[in-house]
Amino acid sequence: MSERTSIELDQFYPHPPALVWHALTTPDLMARWLMRPDGFEPRVGARFSLAAKPIEAVGFSGTVACEVLELVEPELISFSWDDAAAAEPSGWVVSFALRPEGRGTRLLFTHRGFDPDSPAAQRSRTIMGNGWRRIVAALGDAAAAA
Amino acid sequence: MPVRGKTSGADRLFGALANPTRRDILDLLLDGEQTVQDIAERFDMARPSVSEHLRVLRDTDLVREEQRGRHRYYAVHAEPLVGVRDWLSPYERYWRARLTDLGDVLDDLGDGAGT
Repeated sequence: MSERTSIELDQFYPHPPALVWHALTTPDLMARWLMRPDGFEPRVGARFSLAAKPIEAVGFSGTVACEVLELVEPELISFSWDDAAAAEPSGWVVSFALRPEGRGTRLLFTHRGFDPDSPAAQRSRTIMGNGWRRIVAALGDAAAAA
Repeated sequence: MPVRGKTSGADRLFGALANPTRRDILDLLLDGEQTVQDIAERFDMARPSVSEHLRVLRDTDLVREEQRGRHRYYAVHAEPLVGVRDWLSPYERYWRARLTDLGDVLDDLGDGAGT
């Protein structure tokens, strides 16, 4: 199972999959919820970059290099996710899978590919794995309130 | 402070939390202190197994015990988790915020398109 090396999030939107797909794959709209892409096209193999603020806490330079890996309209898009300044590819892949649910859409987001051998990745898995997030949030809140 | 991998304390902490049964025990203790007997009954586990899990949790200071009368009571001690939460938060917050923003964009589009 990939869940051991993934962050997984699950979100429902009260909008049809076609609209969610539109927002996921239209550069001007991507700019509004993700980052403004440079060079994005909705086809497998398209390379693009995303400009963001550096995140010092995780050693992120601020530019993300991506390549579209999977594209099945309007069900699935995935792309690689690398720090453009990193010496080696991270092997990270983010994916957005859409599923109709009633009159809305269930979005399953994953950020996978954490190197299973790195200590940081092992911690990520432990932290991000199922059953863990809730308890950390609850414990963290309890600690903060104490 | 972020948790650093090199510290043995952090390794023990993550080791303790990697076990689903121990997370379940912590989850239970969040509702209030319990005796070993309470926990064993709740999880349908032999007391020695529960005691072993509690020992690991105690060693990492995630759980503290208190002897009162004939019973030992176990309670959550959340302090060690503060650093973990801080370490986690960049990605956790990042993607949750992105998906929330996506919802806002969809709401705008939905209103405009009459979908």
